[in-house]
Formats: sequence, structure tokens, C-alpha cells
Amino acid sequence: MRATDNQGSFLNRISIRRNQVVSMDGNHEQELEDIELFQKHVSDRFSDLLSPSDDTSADALLSISWLRKLLDVFLCCEAEFKAIMIMGRDASLISKPPLDRLFHELLDRNVKTLDVCNAVHHGVDAVRHFQKLAEIVVSALEQRPIGEGQVRRAKRALNSLITAMALEDKDGTGNKSTERAWSFGRRGGSGAVNKDRNPGQFRAISWNMAKGWSASKQIQAMSSNLVAPRGGETLALPVYISSTVMVFVMWALVAAIPCQERSGLASHYSVPRQLSWAQPMVGLQEKIAEEWKKKEKKGCSGLLEEIQKMEKLVQSLSEFAESFQFPAEPERLEEVANQVAELAETCKRMEEGLFPLQQQLREVFHRVVRSRAEILEALEQGGKSSTPIM
Amino acid sequence: MEPPESARLALEAAEEIILRWDSTASEEARDKMIFEGDRQEVDRYLHAVDHIQRSISEVSIGDDQGKVNSAIQIAMARLEDEFRNILLHHTTPIETDSLIDPSSSTHSGTTSAPGGSVSGSEFDDDGDDDKDDEVDELLKRGDSSNSVSYRSTSSIREIDLIPFDEVTDLRSIAERMIAAGYLRECIQVYGSVRKSAVDSSFRRLGIEKLSIGDIQRLEWDQLEAKIRRWIRAAKVCIRIVFASEKKLCEQIFEGIGTAIDDACFMETVKGPAIQLFNFAEAISISRRSPEKLFKILDLHDALMDLIPDIDVVFESKSSESIRIQAAEILSRLAEAARGILSEFENAVLREPSKVPVPGGTIHPLTRYVMNYISLISDYKQTLNELIVSKPSTGSRYSGDPTTPDMEFTELEGKTPLALHLIWIIVILQFNLDGKAKHYKDASLVHLFMMNNVHYIVQKVKGSPELREMIGDDYLRKLTGKFRQAATNYQRATWVGVLYCLRDEGLHVSGSFSSGVSKTALRERFKTFNAMFDEVHRIQATWLIPDSQLREELRISISEKLIPAYRSFLGRFRTHIESGKHPENYIKYSVEDLETSVLDFFEGFPVPQHHLRRRSQ
Repeated sequence: MRATDNQGSFLNRISIRRNQVVSMDGNHEQELEDIELFQKHVSDRFSDLLSPSDDTSADALLSISWLRKLLDVFLCCEAEFKAIMIMGRDASLISKPPLDRLFHELLDRNVKTLDVCNAVHHGVDAVRHFQKLAEIVVSALEQRPIGEGQVRRAKRALNSLITAMALEDKDGTGNKSTERAWSFGRRGGSGAVNKDRNPGQFRAISWNMAKGWSASKQIQAMSSNLVAPRGGETLALPVYISSTVMVFVMWALVAAIPCQERSGLASHYSVPRQLSWAQPMVGLQEKIAEEWKKKEKKGCSGLLEEIQKMEKLVQSLSEFAESFQFPAEPERLEEVANQVAELAETCKRMEEGLFPLQQQLREVFHRVVRSRAEILEALEQGGKSSTPIM
Repeated sequence: MEPPESARLALEAAEEIILRWDSTASEEARDKMIFEGDRQEVDRYLHAVDHIQRSISEVSIGDDQGKVNSAIQIAMARLEDEFRNILLHHTTPIETDSLIDPSSSTHSGTTSAPGGSVSGSEFDDDGDDDKDDEVDELLKRGDSSNSVSYRSTSSIREIDLIPFDEVTDLRSIAERMIAAGYLRECIQVYGSVRKSAVDSSFRRLGIEKLSIGDIQRLEWDQLEAKIRRWIRAAKVCIRIVFASEKKLCEQIFEGIGTAIDDACFMETVKGPAIQLFNFAEAISISRRSPEKLFKILDLHDALMDLIPDIDVVFESKSSESIRIQAAEILSRLAEAARGILSEFENAVLREPSKVPVPGGTIHPLTRYVMNYISLISDYKQTLNELIVSKPSTGSRYSGDPTTPDMEFTELEGKTPLALHLIWIIVILQFNLDGKAKHYKDASLVHLFMMNNVHYIVQKVKGSPELREMIGDDYLRKLTGKFRQAATNYQRATWVGVLYCLRDEGLHVSGSFSSGVSKTALRERFKTFNAMFDEVHRIQATWLIPDSQLREELRISISEKLIPAYRSFLGRFRTHIESGKHPENYIKYSVEDLETSVLDFFEGFPVPQHHLRRRSQ
């Protein structure tokens, strides 16, 4: 399709501030101001995430509530980006160079973001699985007095939990391990009994993204063509800012929540250091990357604060269970009681926060879908990327 | 009231049974399964468990309680394994092959929208009709929705996944586990085994794990095949697989505790359900282009058909998110359909090809558009619900030269969809008008328009649904238009030719000869011959694909040409024949002309200088 004369109708439909356009120059001024404000807002919001003003440990870095704040920040930034884009700007410019290439890249990033959202959404279900197993442990060890029975019960659940967490960590090979621990019915096709069953062996959640899909590769692809604009087209800067935010948020989510194939997550991504408005993001990214590198060696299912806590507690309780002799020493029991209480608290936070987190992820998903549709429409109106009719 | 001694003995006996089956303690306990063996042993075991359970409250603190608790744990661990084992015996995926009508898979992966079928070979009228029918057949939404594969109609059909006896066993285990506070373990085991079974069924049904990125990258005809497969699979998933899982949960867990059957059901199907819907969601957000319309509508209709069943199967509060997702997808598909229609209209209006179609025949755009809207009329039931607003452009006399005008007030009482279809025909003609202007020959401009508008009329008449929506009023307008084009053509070509055969200017008054200027007459004949030759030569390469229209136009030409020539010849031939070389001037007999007219609009490939003349 040739460039059409449809500009009029398109602007009529989407421009909310068209009436406020006084002159091209005046409009341009306003734009630059808005972009500066955008930068400031981004900086402020991430600054808040880096060092929150009120000192509640519930908002520890990469905790569930912190992640929810992160998603909120993303939604705010996205809304502001949208507002700037439709600010009486001649929308047909989107479909011409150099902006058209930027927007095509943005479209691609949007698609990857959608896939990451889905993967993380699924990963949260894996976390919920941990929670359910941990609740068994809590249930067992909350009983008084703690006897053989309770400890054995806890041990079964602890073993399953440890295995589940380890399996989530084995990125690409996760599938194989899952199958081995869960061999039934595949040979012979019918429900052959697995005599080799491990007591208390619960299946880890199998990966549900496409085979070969890799979270870290997606992030890498998203950030590889993200290049800071060098003057020129004004709109390029907000696109860059918005994209930087988007990639960072996705990266942080993938680091926190179990996701398919994350090897090299921290090595191939970083926020450019020289951007003034991105300093808080840089700070966060460095912190998270450091944690990731530390944990990657030992193996970890996710940097989610609650998972980390759970892993520690589970390790300790597992040792207790292994070496348990009835009756146990009172100090030991008290220690265990404290740990169990902590575990219960962690489970509670998961219980309360995981579902809202998933709802927020869906909200992000919807927003990105809408964004994508709007960009596609703008590009097509501009006449560049139309599909030939025949 | 039992004396304490016998109570203690009974308790010890029960404990002994439990301990005997402690799989961590003995090889034998590991190798055999209680529920696979002697029924009496099963009963004994269960009674022992019950006994231990009851005695918890009775036993005093101290070692005894510790022993009892330990026994309970051992029993629960054992029961858990037994539970898992019974479940594992019934994990074969549902035999869904027999449930899918094999005939519905004969629709091969050929493209369903006319988009891919337009090519140079489309100039043959007969072939076009066949192709249209074929496309129509392919597109009839008999993919699976009309198939007779399901013995019932399209309602839920639960299968008994596990035989009754074993369901009873499972239930008796579940009761005890839950009573002992081991609910969580029970749900976990159940969920993990059943979810794997559902995963196997999914694989059997060919449900793939594709990322949204993957789907955006696939070619549309590949996606069409996947959508078809998905529609078939989704029906089986929801109406049979999920429904059966729900029934199984109810069979095992209903009445034990609160909403445990719901929890188990969600544990089992949540992941697979999301995986299933993710595909439809990815399709609903993919880039829009005209050829996608009909598959999107198929998907929309299939999903809409399924929503009541989805609402039933996923009725619990905990499965709300699934119902919500399904509804969201449905609404996105509707939006996509609307958007595609709008884009189609835009594409028709702006279709830019300037190369004139040789011979003034039917333009591929015309065929494509008419096929497309015929298909739309097939889908009118759905589209009437989805398309609720009138076409947006051209509803006023905008003065915009790039868009035609269309007054909607005279089309009162028509559904929005019908208005869109009429609008599409309007803009098709508008576009064709623009294309016609590229012909250098004015006559060809008219012939082209005549051919194309006639084709439009034929297509509308050929489809009852389309005709009903377009309406006979507008059809009359179109008919008038192509008749007018025919008239314009005749004027453009034949006025000049017939002018040669006029009487005026030939008679000279007051001379010795018969009053006819021989010079002028010879000029006339020469001019007529030259003009007719040229017109004959050129217009034999033009084409009117419709045989009836071709005939009619020839007859119309003949009706004017032949009598005029006959009369001219009759009156003036003697004057020529009395002079030198009459053959230079009278080239055609009346029969020759009649024969030559038969060459017109035959679409001969190249202008031929020596066309057959039968009378020679």
C-alpha cells in the first residue's frame, strides 16, 4: 500500500492533544519537556526500588512485593511513554525512517516480552508448587511434640522440595531429570508400575515453553539492538527509554522466578552505565547480577527472596531431619521451631502474593498486546508495512 | 467398654500390620503393593489404619503417643504410595483418535482464502467457477463443528478414566489421608500423576508448545493447518479430557472435606489449560491481513461454541482465571475479525497495481474481492454479530478524490455487514475506474468496466446469501452500470466506423453521373475498410470472458453494423464496380463482416493481420 492520505482520520482518532497544538515549535518544546520529565520519572521510580524510603523488610530486593512494585513501575512508565507518543505528533512519521525501524524493533521486543510474561507466569506456578511442599513441612514440624513420625513426614516433603528446586534450576536439562524421576508408562505405553519409585518423589513442574526456547536468549535478543539514539529524531529517545525499562523488568523477573533456560543470564545483559536517568537501574542490575553469579554456581531455582529464604531453611531443616534422634535437645528444637515459623511466614507471603503477582503479569501482558496493536496500526496507516492484498 | 489390656493388644496388632508394610523397613514391603494383592489384606490394612487413627485421642502422652504418631506417618506414607500406584495404572491417554471424525481431516492444507489462488491462469472463466466452488467447499465450516464425530451433539462427554472399583479404593485412601491431616500430600500425588496423564493426551492430540514469537514467524498456511488441528483438539480437551478429569476428582474426593475435588482438578488441569489457550491467544494477537479472516472466524466460532462448556468445566472460583482468559481471547478474536475487515476494505481501495490487464478482461482484484465477499456472506451468521458499525469512510460527500462517496440513507434497513459488503463493491469499482484509465484505447476502458461490473453482478447473483445482503436495488444499479459501459463502448468504437457508411456528403447535385461522387465513395470504402480492419484486428485480442455477454455485445454490434453496411453496399456498389479495381474498395461482403464480428472479444493472443474469412 502506498502512503495514503489517511493521516487526517488517524490523527482524529488517536490524538488527544491535537487541539492543543499551537505551533510546530511550541509543540516541539512541549515534547522535549515531556521527555525530560519522563526520564526523571523513570529515574525516580527505580531509585525508589533501589533504596526504598520506608524500611519494610517485606520489600526486600526481589521479594514478591518488590516484584509487584517493579511491575507497577513498568506499567507507569509504559503509560507515560504512550502519552508522549500520541502527543499531537504527526503519527505518519512512525512509518518512515528512521522511526519505522525503531518501531519494528519495538514490535519484536513486545513479542518477546509477551513470551517472557507467559514463561514467568508459569514459573510462578512452580513457586507455588514449592510453597505447597513447604507447607507440608511446616504442618509436620508444627506439631508438638516433634517425634519420629513428624520428622519422617517432613523429610519426605523436604526431599521432594529440594529435588523440585534443583530440577527447576536445571534449565535445558530440566526435562530429562523430570522424566527420570518420573518414569512411568512411557516404556510399553501403559501405566507400568515404577518399582523404582522414590518415596515422596514429587514431580517438578515440566517446562511449558516451546522446545529450545530460552529466557536468557530472549533477553539477550531484546537488548542486543537497544542502542541509545544520537540526537536526530525526537521520538527515538522515549522509545529507547521505554525499551530499556521493559528489558530490565523482564530480566529481573527471569532472574527471580524459575524460567526455562536461563544460563548466562547475568553475563549477556547490562544497563548502559552512562545514562543519567538509568543510574538506579544500573545499581539494581549490578546487585541482581552479582547475586545471580554467586548462586549460579551452586545452582538456584530463582533469586526470588522468598525462594532464597526457603532454600536456606529447607537446607537447615533437612539437616535436622537427617540427624534427628528422639528426643531432640530443647535448644535444637527451639531453633527448629523458629525456622519452621519463618518457613510458615514465607509460605504465607507466597500464598498472599503469588496470585496477585500473576494477575499483574496478565495486566502487563494485556498492555503490551494493546501497545503492539496500536503500533501495528500506526505503521500500517503510514503505508509502509502493509501486506499486499494479492 | 474394652478393658485396657485388650485395647492395647488390638492397638499393637494394628501397629504390627502397619509396620509390616513399612516400605523403608523391608524389601518385601517395597516389592509388593497392598492394593494389588489380596482384598482381605487391603481390608485388614485399612482397618488397622482406622484403628490407629482412632486411638490417637485415647492414648496418653509419652512413648505410646510417639509410637502411634510414628505408625500413622508410616501408614500415610504407605497409603500415599499405594494411591500413586493405583493412579499410575490408569494413565494411558484417552483414545481420542476414534473420537475425531476422520473425514473432517480430508480438508488438506490448501489455502482457504482466495488470496493465494489468484494468478495469470485466472483468465479462464470456467476454471474460475470451479475454483470458486472448491474454495467454498473448503471453507464451509464443516471442519469439525458440523462433523458427526461425537456421538452426542457438541456437549460435554465424560469418560470414566478409572474403573469403579479402583475409584473406590482411591477414595478410601483419600478419606484416611485427609482425616489424618495429610491432605496436601494427597493433592500433590494426585495432581502430579493426573497432570502427566493430561500431558500425554495433549501430545496425542497434537497440541504443540509454541511461543508467541514462533507463531508470528510461521507462514499463514502453516498456521491455518495448526488452527484447524487446534480446533479439533480443543473440543476434545474441554469436552472430554478436562470434563473427565473433573468427574474423576468428584468421584474420588467429593464429600471429603471442602472443595478438595476443585483443588485436585485445578492442580491437574491448570497448566494444560493455559497451554491450550495460549495458542489461541497468540493467534488472536497476530498481525492482521485479509487472508486470515476466515480462519480467525473459524477459531472464534469454535471458541464461542466451547465457552458454555468451559464455564461448566471450570465453574469453581479457583478456575476463574481460565474462564476469564477464554473470554478475553474470544473478544480479541472478534476484534481481530473487525480489524481485518477494515484492513481489507482499505487494501481494496488502495490496491495500487497500474498494469492494465491485457484484453480488458476481468481483473484479478475483481475476482479476489468477489470471492472474498462471497465467503464473507457464508460467514454472515457470525459476522452479523461481530460487525456492528457502518463502514467509516465515504459515508459523507467528503470531497476527497481518493475515496468514493456512498450515501447510506438510501440503504436503510440493511445490516452493518451488508453495508460493508456494498461498500466493498463500491470501492472495488472506484479502484477499477482508476485502473481503467490506464488503457490508452477509450473503447477498452469501457469494455474493461463492462466486464468487471458484469462479473460482480454474476457473482452476486450466484450467491443467495450475498444477493440477499446486497439487495436487488443495488444489483439493478450495477446492472445499469455495465449496460451503460457496453453502450459507451459501442459509441466509442462504432460511431466512427458507422460514420463511414452515412449518406451525407456522397451525393453531388447536378452532375452528369448518377449524383454520387466516386472519389468520395472510394474514400469512404477505403476508410471503412481501414477502420474496420484495425478495429477487427485489435478487438479480436480483447476478451469478454462471459460467453453470454460476449454474444450479446456481438449481436448488438451486428445489429447496427450489418444492416448499415448492407444498405450502403446495396446502394453504392455498382458505382464502385463500374470503376477500376473495385476489389481495392469493396473488401468485405456482408457475410465477411458477419464472420469477422465473430472474432471480436475472443481474446486472441496477438493481433493477427490475416484473420480467417470464410467466404474467400
